[in-house]
Amino acid sequence: MILSSCLFFVVSCSPVHKQMQSATADIRLLQKFKPAFTVALYNTTVDVVGNHLSGLLFIKKMPDSSTRMVFSNEMGLTFFDFEFTDNGGFKVYSIIKKMNKKSVIKTLRHDFELILMNTLDNNKAIVKTNDGQLYFIFPQKKGYNYYITNTDATELLRMERASNKKSIVDAVMKNFVKGIPDTIGISHKTFEFNIGLKRIER
Amino acid sequence: MNKFIIIIFIIAKGFTSQAQYTGYNPVADLAKFKTAFATASKKTTSIKADFIQEKNLSMLSEKIISKGNFWFKKDSRVRMEYHTPFTYLMVLNKDKVYVKDGAKETKLSARSNKMFQQINKIMIDCMQGTALDNTDFKTRVFENRNNALVELTPITKGMKEMFRNINVVVDKKDFSVQSIQMQELSGDNTIMRFTNKELNAPIPDNLFDIK
Repeated sequence: MILSSCLFFVVSCSPVHKQMQSATADIRLLQKFKPAFTVALYNTTVDVVGNHLSGLLFIKKMPDSSTRMVFSNEMGLTFFDFEFTDNGGFKVYSIIKKMNKKSVIKTLRHDFELILMNTLDNNKAIVKTNDGQLYFIFPQKKGYNYYITNTDATELLRMERASNKKSIVDAVMKNFVKGIPDTIGISHKTFEFNIGLKRIER
Repeated sequence: MNKFIIIIFIIAKGFTSQAQYTGYNPVADLAKFKTAFATASKKTTSIKADFIQEKNLSMLSEKIISKGNFWFKKDSRVRMEYHTPFTYLMVLNKDKVYVKDGAKETKLSARSNKMFQQINKIMIDCMQGTALDNTDFKTRVFENRNNALVELTPITKGMKEMFRNINVVVDKKDFSVQSIQMQELSGDNTIMRFTNKELNAPIPDNLFDIK
């Protein structure tokens, strides 16, 4: 109750979301938007502070239910190999020296966790509404993950990662085929860092 | 004492066997091989080929296979067009690099981008037959009846961070490259196999234009 009250206070005070009203919706409705990656390959573009990078992102659900993400350039050189577990765990299997910086790894981890929806605790979640949209709000260790749907939660409109004060990342997943999104976009608001993923049929 | 010597011999033999490649033996006369390689490469002014690239993700038991077309023309010009399952174009012209992924075009100097500079050098060296002279690597050469395998082990810091080794298989008949295998530190590897090779076929210069 105390936690809920604190959360309500923080969210209410957030300049970005201060217009939101309390709403009643089943948190579990969001589960249907959790991507069901079995094996998927994405054409990937990364634009970061004036630099452009392209490559392939390979995503695979492993037998132990963890999700592996391997990003390589078109010629095969691996940039990173990450593991995300269903309970929010994370492991770096490999990363090239140029990217091997705590801030880079942390940013990528949180960006992909927003997409994978593997750090969402339904017990701590709240639902709010604004302008005909439902906001499913999940507190994270730092800040919040927002999943914004239409009124009846049949369509995931966008995702957002925010601190207590401002929105940090906007993301979208579109055109799901058998639970796997065809298009994924991640866009940072505080500095130029955009990731675009387009699924490749193999 | 004798037992000790036998054990050392067995261990040493084990290491020797591991360091070689199945079906290949060390080249008996390396100087002769180098001369033959250089002579044949001098005669090759252009290469046109198709390629199949296979990236093996060892821990994930998965492969990513891509296909495309390849052109090489002396001096130091390479064009690679991936067409399946994605489109990607890379042109190397001397020290310039042009990349087109989707609608995005990027031009850069290989000198300003270490990774492209290294890829550029490896690719050109393999095609021009100068891989054995690349000082970024320690080289060993193995052969079987039809092919020679040039093992390039990085010795410079930048290359060591990227590759465990790069193996180039050449056809002993004309010393043209059959495959290039890049072994990464993680255990993953990428092998690029060249097929339908045409040596010294006319290739227009403008294929390598970077404007």
